[in-house]
Amino acid sequence: MTMWWIIGGVVVIIAIIFFTYYNRFARLINQIENSFSQIDVQLKKRADLVPNLVASVKGYMKHEKGIIDSVTEARKSLVGARDFAGKVRAGDQLQAAIGRLFAIAENYPNLKANENFLQLQTEMSAIEDKIAYARQYYNDGIMSYNTITTTIPGTWFASLYGFKKKDYLHIPDKERAPIKVDF
Amino acid sequence: MEQVRLSFYDEIRNNKIYSVLLIFFVFVILVALGYAISFAFDPSYFFFILVLSIVISILYIWIGYYNSASIAIASVGGIVANPREHKIFFDLVEGLTLASGLPMPKLYVMKNDQINAFASGRDPKHAVICITTGTLEKLNKQELEGVLSHELSHIANYDIRFMTLTAVLVGMIAIISEIFLRSMWNQSRSSNDDNKGNGIFLIIGIVLAILAPIIVQLVQLAISRKREFVADASAVKFTRTPTGLIGALSKIKENRDMKVSGAVAPLFLAKPNRVSNLFETHPPLEVRIEKLRKM
Repeated sequence: MTMWWIIGGVVVIIAIIFFTYYNRFARLINQIENSFSQIDVQLKKRADLVPNLVASVKGYMKHEKGIIDSVTEARKSLVGARDFAGKVRAGDQLQAAIGRLFAIAENYPNLKANENFLQLQTEMSAIEDKIAYARQYYNDGIMSYNTITTTIPGTWFASLYGFKKKDYLHIPDKERAPIKVDF
Repeated sequence: MEQVRLSFYDEIRNNKIYSVLLIFFVFVILVALGYAISFAFDPSYFFFILVLSIVISILYIWIGYYNSASIAIASVGGIVANPREHKIFFDLVEGLTLASGLPMPKLYVMKNDQINAFASGRDPKHAVICITTGTLEKLNKQELEGVLSHELSHIANYDIRFMTLTAVLVGMIAIISEIFLRSMWNQSRSSNDDNKGNGIFLIIGIVLAILAPIIVQLVQLAISRKREFVADASAVKFTRTPTGLIGALSKIKENRDMKVSGAVAPLFLAKPNRVSNLFETHPPLEVRIEKLRKM
């Protein structure tokens, strides 16, 4: 009789351990997915502001058609991107294009005095900060997730449940370094 | 959330335990006060006053728990921040909530030229951050971000629950004890000692009234110095650089005194007045800056 109680107890404990690990993975995956959707929200905000930005600079930067087009193009590919990697890549390209646009705008004093333009500029830089933070949180999530998927005993459960190591988001060099403009 | 919860796990657990202990402690003291009062005034009402004091204590703690943030905000005269006027405040807090996975707190501004800030609330979902107008004017973006990150750390590890509860519950004990002492004083002058047996309870009542705020404050202060270091360290975890907070703390050295109630003083980023005493609520700024530099 006691024998069965012991066996029963052990089975329950093992089951709890299995559930606990599954939940840990599930929670971290949720966190990672949630932080991706936060990145997505900010990318969308950035894309939504582009038409306003283009409209406000067009009148001033008549001879910079190339740069304005590159911003519009980058926005198009961001809106068209379907998967995570594509969105992030397009978002980076758009960021770089916008950065070049703002750098060139430095040469247009009238534009820099434009209230609407200044507002867009602060908004874009706020979005850039938020995206950086959301990415940081995403990578923090990946780090916790990868730590339990690669260390013992987490790694046993990971292979059992089929959870694989995930990739970090790499912050593009363009974003890290100040943007250089050639004239 | 998991990320934050994992890293702050011990802090959160301790703060929750402390909060429960504090509530219990306050309850016992309030009931004991009621008990002492009932003997000091008229023993025949003993049972009635005891029941009344239990009911009042429970109500008091209940109201304090659910309204601690509003009470703290009201006591410093904070007003709701304006998303247009204080855009940078909103942007930075939003960015930091993205970095920490916390929900967006309610933002308040209090009119004061000195640089200071505090966070309050019972949990991250009901949290508030209040900063002075001086903070918005005198700090640059990176420094402001450091300050806000420090406040968000207090929210993330539930310091806000314990600290605000202490401020609100203890603040009120101080007031109640004060009223008690004053009426005792008046009574002992007007009436002659026709009930000598109450003398002992009278003394207990007075001792309790004097000790209550001191004891609770000692408990609070013992913990809050360490809290500031922990919050500084986790602030750096969110911003990934101590530069902003170091800059802000260096500027705070120039602060002059602020007029805020003693009860809410420990909530602030830096102590609101310069008088230093035995019961210091904050570690010295130099020590905090030194620790941040080493990160």
